[in-house]
Amino acid sequence: MTPDNGGPTIIEAVNLKKEFTVNEPGKGAFGAVKALFSVKKMIVRAVDGVSFSIKQGDFVGYVGENGAGKSTTIKILTGILVPSSGVAKVNGVVPYEDRKKNAGNIGVVFGQRTQLWWDLPVRESFEMLKAIYRIKQNDFAEMMKKLSAVLDMGPLMDVPVRKLSLGQRMKCDLAAALVHRPGVLFLDEPTIGLDVLAKENIRAFLREMNKTEGTTIILTTHDMNDIEQLCERLIMLDRGRIIYDGLTAELKSKFVREKLIEVEFHGTPPSLLGMPELSVVEEKGPKLWLKFQDEGGGIAKVIGKLASFDVKDISVREPSVESIVMSIYEKTRTLPPYVEETK
Amino acid sequence: MSPALFFKFVGVSFRKETAYRFDYLVMILNGFLYVFIFTSLWKTVFAASGGGFGGFTTAGIISYTVVAMVIRISFSMDDTIIPGRVRDGSVAVDLIRPVSFQMMNLAQCVGYSAFHLTARGLPILLVSALMFDLHAPLRSLPASAVSLVLSYLLLFMLNFTVSLLSFWFVEVFPFILLKYALINLLAGGLVPMDFFPDFIRPVMALLPFQHIFYSPAIIITGRVAPEQAVGIIAVQALWVAGFVVLSAVMWRAASNKLVIQGG
Repeated sequence: MTPDNGGPTIIEAVNLKKEFTVNEPGKGAFGAVKALFSVKKMIVRAVDGVSFSIKQGDFVGYVGENGAGKSTTIKILTGILVPSSGVAKVNGVVPYEDRKKNAGNIGVVFGQRTQLWWDLPVRESFEMLKAIYRIKQNDFAEMMKKLSAVLDMGPLMDVPVRKLSLGQRMKCDLAAALVHRPGVLFLDEPTIGLDVLAKENIRAFLREMNKTEGTTIILTTHDMNDIEQLCERLIMLDRGRIIYDGLTAELKSKFVREKLIEVEFHGTPPSLLGMPELSVVEEKGPKLWLKFQDEGGGIAKVIGKLASFDVKDISVREPSVESIVMSIYEKTRTLPPYVEETK
Repeated sequence: MSPALFFKFVGVSFRKETAYRFDYLVMILNGFLYVFIFTSLWKTVFAASGGGFGGFTTAGIISYTVVAMVIRISFSMDDTIIPGRVRDGSVAVDLIRPVSFQMMNLAQCVGYSAFHLTARGLPILLVSALMFDLHAPLRSLPASAVSLVLSYLLLFMLNFTVSLLSFWFVEVFPFILLKYALINLLAGGLVPMDFFPDFIRPVMALLPFQHIFYSPAIIITGRVAPEQAVGIIAVQALWVAGFVVLSAVMWRAASNKLVIQGG
């Protein structure tokens, strides 16, 4: 199931595959010598039949563990890598066939690298980008004003890029990816290594760009808070394959029906023998933590029943997206392995 | 790539060199040392052989040596940039820009060389002009200019093509060393082709290397008349075109082969 925001399709991936050939290193000293003569090659399928379509204005989280194929997919969509098979289209352009044209339409941030000029002051990096993307002076001035206001870049403009902190650099990199008003923004781990405040600033900025500029954003991250706060839609990858594609909110109801109820009673907790649907996780003084399998709205009834006791406080907690993601990975670990041996 | 953008890239690369090259005085000295060693060497050799050797007069070989050295120094290029960026994966950033990878690298290379031309090549040329009686006929100037541009492009294309091997091999240093050896030996920057034994000259004529320093140097110093230079320039242009085609074919293949290191 794919959520539909009614806009035109802007990114399309059909059965994308990307294989890398890896030489298997020999084990030990003898193995290393042996490897000189007979190279055992392994084919690693980093992306294994990925299909999805993304509509204009979508804010999509693209998640998976290390090596799941997230970055490889992003690099195919940005025209850096050529897929082994399958087709990708961004704005109607096949990125790896017409890299330059595609590059003009998109913005990219790699959290671990900067696209700014290391030796130049920030301001001059933006002057370079202005020339590269052939941005008109008026548009450039207007966009720079907007970006530096939202990202608070003013004080950074005359600092050489190499002297920026990671958080400052990330702000400038985000601005650099957006200065030419791309329709699509690819973010590969933009919050990696940032402190909580910097993360919060960047999230607010991305939300704003998605809303005011209508920028389609594809975000890969390890931080489930990014996803929970930003991405309406979630595509989850495991070993090169999509294991979930749908609304982030639906993920919870679809995969996890378990809810945690925290109840505090006046005095000793009563016996809950009359409620077999609840199981006690922990008991501590007047507090009880209860687990409940929610099969379609039963939670209200349970709360009602609990309220008939002498309750001081009651709260229902849902599992975090992170814990859901973890539980999905555990469930799907029965898939066939993604490494094949050839010779 | 528009000329304006090209020169912006040139400017950035030039400034980067000026910011980091505190050691350039040492590099100037190094250049002078080369000029001094080779001019002294040829003077001694020519004096011992009675004033002429390999078709050169003593004044001729001094002019050739200085000119070839200055070209060699001014045509400094950093051929570790592309392999370095492939090795650490930052080539990904180069590829997200709507510009030609080749042209961007050429522009950066021109900026780098422009620094070495102004900071080392020209000072060495000026001082050498005061020290020696350099022979460079004015009527050879147009042909010299064209030949210099082509020899620069040829050296760039050779470097670029070898750099592209880094898309296939993690370690390209051996290829770069081999290239250095061939250029030092066969490009004419140190020893003119005329001093090589006769049997090896036809082989060298079939290779591109002598068109890097030897061809422009003999045109500039008037060893070849401008009328004869046209043929040499045509061969230079053919080699440049050949490398452009080769590197374009390699680039297409390299794109399929690329692995971004470090995710």
